[in-house]
This record gives sequence, C-alpha cells and structure tokens, in this order.
Amino acid sequence: MKSAYKWSVLALRRQPLLPVWVVLLLTLSGLYSGFGTTANFRNIAIQASPLIIAAVGATFVIMTAGIDLSVGSTLFLAAAIESSQALISAPTGVVFLAIAAAGLLMGLLNGVAVAMTRVPALIVTLASMQVFRGAGGHITGQQNIDLPAHLRGIGTGSLLGVPAPVLLAAATAIGGGMLFSRTVFGRYTQAVGSNRAAALNGGLPVRTVTAGAYALAGLLAAVASLTQTARLGAVQPSIGDGYELTVITAVVLGGTSLFGGRGSITGPVLGALVLTTAQTGLVFSGASPYVFDIVRGGVLLTAVIAAGMRWRNLAQTLRLPGRSSSGGGRMISSA
Amino acid sequence: MKAFPIIRSMAALTASCLVLAACGSSAKQSEAGASAKKVTIGVSFDLLNAIRQAEKAAIEKAAKAAGYDVIFAVADKDPQKQSSQIQDLIQTRKVSAVIVIAQDGQQIASSISLAKAKNVPFVAIDRAVADQQNVTFQITGDPSADGRLSATEFANAAKTKPLKVLELVGALTDQNAIGRRDGFNAALKGDPNVTVVSQVPTNWDPAQALDGTSNALQKNPDINAIFVPSDFLLPSVQSALTSANRLAPVGDPKHVFLVTIDGDQNGCKAMRDKTLDADIATPVDDFGRQAITAITTALGGKAVDPRTVQTEGLTLNQAGFAKTSPQVWGCVA
Repeated sequence: MKSAYKWSVLALRRQPLLPVWVVLLLTLSGLYSGFGTTANFRNIAIQASPLIIAAVGATFVIMTAGIDLSVGSTLFLAAAIESSQALISAPTGVVFLAIAAAGLLMGLLNGVAVAMTRVPALIVTLASMQVFRGAGGHITGQQNIDLPAHLRGIGTGSLLGVPAPVLLAAATAIGGGMLFSRTVFGRYTQAVGSNRAAALNGGLPVRTVTAGAYALAGLLAAVASLTQTARLGAVQPSIGDGYELTVITAVVLGGTSLFGGRGSITGPVLGALVLTTAQTGLVFSGASPYVFDIVRGGVLLTAVIAAGMRWRNLAQTLRLPGRSSSGGGRMISSA
Repeated sequence: MKAFPIIRSMAALTASCLVLAACGSSAKQSEAGASAKKVTIGVSFDLLNAIRQAEKAAIEKAAKAAGYDVIFAVADKDPQKQSSQIQDLIQTRKVSAVIVIAQDGQQIASSISLAKAKNVPFVAIDRAVADQQNVTFQITGDPSADGRLSATEFANAAKTKPLKVLELVGALTDQNAIGRRDGFNAALKGDPNVTVVSQVPTNWDPAQALDGTSNALQKNPDINAIFVPSDFLLPSVQSALTSANRLAPVGDPKHVFLVTIDGDQNGCKAMRDKTLDADIATPVDDFGRQAITAITTALGGKAVDPRTVQTEGLTLNQAGFAKTSPQVWGCVA
C-alpha cells in the first residue's frame, strides 16, 4: 500500500497533467449522460491518436530547443503522395513504407538545414511549411481525392477490438518513450536542448542529434497523416492546415519546455488526450461555436504561461546562491 | 590557361545572342503594340480548392472567348501576400484589369485604391469586399439565401418525419460560413418539426468536421439529419456516419437526411449514390462570365451597371436530379 502511494505521488510530481485529465473525464462524465461510456472513451482515444503520434515526434524537436512549424504541411504532403497515381493502387505495405520514407526525408531536410546552417528553426520550418504545402497542392491539383478501401484500414480497422489508430498511437508512445529515456539518442536530445554549447564542448554529435530529431518528427507526422487520411477516407487540400499549433499545444501542455532540455513522452500523450477530451466535452455541453475557439486559445495560453513560469522559477533558483544544487546552467531532467 | 579565351568567346557569343533576342522581342512587342494592345487580366485568388478550380476554369473560359489573356496568382490565405500579388499585377505586369477573390474583405481596400489610382478595373467575385465605392464590379453568391434554400429542403422533409438536426458551421471568421448559418437558422426558426440539437464549428477543417460529427452522434444518437455548409466537408461527415453504421441511401430506415452547399464533384457523386438528399450549387460559371463582361464594359469606358450582383444557388435535389444536374458545375466537370 505504502509503495503504491509513493509511486502515485512520484507519478503525480512527474506528470501533473494526469490528475487534470482524470478530473476532466470524471467531471464531464458526471455532467453529461453518454459521455462516460465505453463507446465515447473509444471515440476520444481514436480522435486523439493522430495528434499523439505527431506530438511525440514534435517533442523530440522541442526538446532540442527547436520548433517545427511544418508538421501540418508534412502531414498534407504525405497525404498527397499517398493519393498520387503512382501509389494509390499499390499494395498497402508499399504505400505505408513510401509515406514513412517521404516523411523521414521531409524531416531530414528540415533537420539538416537547421543543424548545418544555424538559421533559426522557426525560419527554416516556416519556409518548408510553404514548400511542402505547395508541393502537396501541386500533386493533388487542390482536388479532393477518395482513398481506396485498402488504405482506410489503418484508420477504421481494429485488432482484437482495439482500433488501429489507438494501437499505432500506443506503439508510438511506448517506442518514443523508450527512445527518449533508454537510448543515447534520447539523452543527447535532452543534452542538446538543455545547453547546446556544453553539448558541443563535451563532444556530443549535436548536428546529427538535431537532424535526427527533425527526421523523427517528419516520420511521425507522416504516420499521423496515414491514420488521419484513412479516417477521413479522402485527401483534401485543407488537411493539416494549422495543425502545427495543435501539436505544439499538446507538447507544451504536456510540460515540455519550449526552451528545450526538459520534458517527457507521457506529457504530449496526456496533452493530446486533454485537448481531445475538452473538445468532445464542448460538443456534449452544447456550447456556442464561439466558445470552442476561446477554449482552444485559452488552453494554449495557459500551457505557455505555465511553461514560462516553470522556466522563470528554475532560472530564479539557479541565480540565488545556496538554493541550487547543480551549480549553474540548465539541468537535464529525466523523462 | 588556354581555356580562358574559348570561355571568353563563348560568353561574348551568348551575350550577343541575348542582346539580339531581346532586340527581336522588343521589335515584335512594338509591332504588336502598334496594331492592338492585348488585354491581360490579373487574377488573384485567396486559395485553391475544388470550387476555386472551377471558378478559375470559368474565368479562363470566358476570357478566352473574349480574346483576353489571364495571369493567375494564389495568395494561400494570406491577405498581405494577396496585396503584394495585386500590386505586382498592376504595377509590374501592367495588367488591364484584375479579378480578385479576397482573403480579407476589409484589408483588400488598399489594393482596390491602388487599382483605382492606376485606372485598372477591379472586379471582386465570390467574396464581398468592404470598399463598395471604388470597386468596378462585384459578383458573389448569397450565403444567406443558400442557407435558406437548404432550410427549405429540411422543412419539406420534416413534413413526413420530424428532424433532429446536427448543424455544422464553417469558420466563424468567414462571411460565407456565417451567412449560411444565419440564413439556415432564420428560415427554420419556429418550425415545430425541425430541431437543431447540436451546432458544431469546423473551422472549414475536414478533421474537425469528422471529430465534431462523431462526437455529436455519440451525444445524440437520435440525430437523423445533418446540415453540411460545404461539399468539401462531406467526406468527413460520410466517414463519421460510416463509423457509426449510419451511412445509408435515401429510403433506407437508417438514412440520415443530408443537405450540403457548393455543388462540387463530391456532392454530385453522393447525389448519384443517393446518400445525399440535396446540394445547393454555387453558380460559378456566372461568376466568370459576368466578371469578364464587366471588364469589357469598363475597358470600353462605360460604367458597369448594376455594380453589385448577388446570385443565389441552384437547388439540386433527388426529385429534380436528372433535370438540374447538367447545370451544376460539379456534375459536368
């Protein structure tokens, strides 16, 4: 009992968003009939899946103190390639591999540009956002393209009763978590974001790690695209438009610092779940359509302010003599 | 070292060719200019999607018939970019007239002023602009009338069976979305057989439309009608209905009554499959034809009258499908 309590306290300290999500679920279930049903929880899990997948990838980028504004456009270009004449009738495995490779390449382009040129990631990914969306528009001719049934399974199918998007999101979260906390790459990612100069001085492969983080984000944005388009059953020109903001909100809400070096993989997963649960709750509440935008913007603002306050607190702690145990510089926290 | 003279000779030769080509080109241009100045129309769209492609085709068809050339630009939903593009069309490309679908009806005012200052006719299509004084001609749909026409279909269907409606709403900053919503709600106000049980914003985003429809069907499983404010959200709604095992053709007891607006290929296909009950088609051919006619009038030094035209959509329903579909752009594309 005592160890379970200790574990719970530790879990709460590490991830304060967990009780927020649980309280949100319980409150909405108590307020609205039909919310607290298995069918609705399944619905929320399916809806959150593409966001979880994309947010896990974006976490690695933000952990390096970078940013990827091209997530939505990567998602669209991947969808456009999926709907192209060359791929649309190819076997499912070939399409998925091609899309994953395309996403990896798009991410790598961002990563190499950021790592090699030292141009701010904001500018690089702002440019690639336009390039990818333009390329996607060129491929689709800005038309709606229906996907054949064999490409929809990843969004609408299930295995042993578990929806395919949920399985994919769970696999991504577990894989991402292991990569983050149990591999050299994960540790280096945190180190680069925490103090780039120290990482360079320490002989860490900063450029490779940075490029790798963006490549991973591109790969996972493409996987998110596969699930999203499969759910929609069609590729449409406005897919992924503005999605980068939702993804960044989920990551920051999950406690990942926009200044890099601090965060976890459970954070963006919970961030995505909180956002999706709130969105579903708004529909159940019958709120005015205007309230939806207020809530979305409010959540982002709260997350950014909370992140800023945490950073300021840490900076203050490090400035005051005798209150710091690390001796200076930003610390690397564990996942 | 010996390579340098050869390179220098080649460079000189290339430069000479370029100068001669330029001279030839200007000679040709002055020759053409002497006979008759070719009319070129600059077109700036807010974005490019299925309906915009149809509008582009309608302009190109009408321009070709009038013997005009067209330079086309897309602003990717960025008002500043659109303003720069129009400036470039007027000042650098020296177009004779501009046709614009404004991303922002207020911010486009500076572009309208520039066109007036340079004596270039400015035609706004599809979306209304705020500066009505200086615009040469404006032709738009009537979103409120389209909403009312949609509501008529609901009211007619509700005479045989009361309807519980899910109403999807487009972007709340878009006048078309607001007009369609307001027209729809105003027309159904007081109808005892139609109840709007849920109103869900989509921000014109297919993913939000899919999630919103799924959530509303979870909350109100007895929803038996959906108002979709644009055809491009139709695949999302159909996916949500398929997941809920509710997508069925007209006449099936499981059928959910559906009405959309635009009349694109999605809508027409769904009409043919009998999963869609009605589609209010935007008259895109009218936009192109009337815009070019207005430009011809303005370039001839005459005033365009009337200066503002609003065209309401054409109702395509299952009863009149065979007769009306040849007039719907998505059915003939």
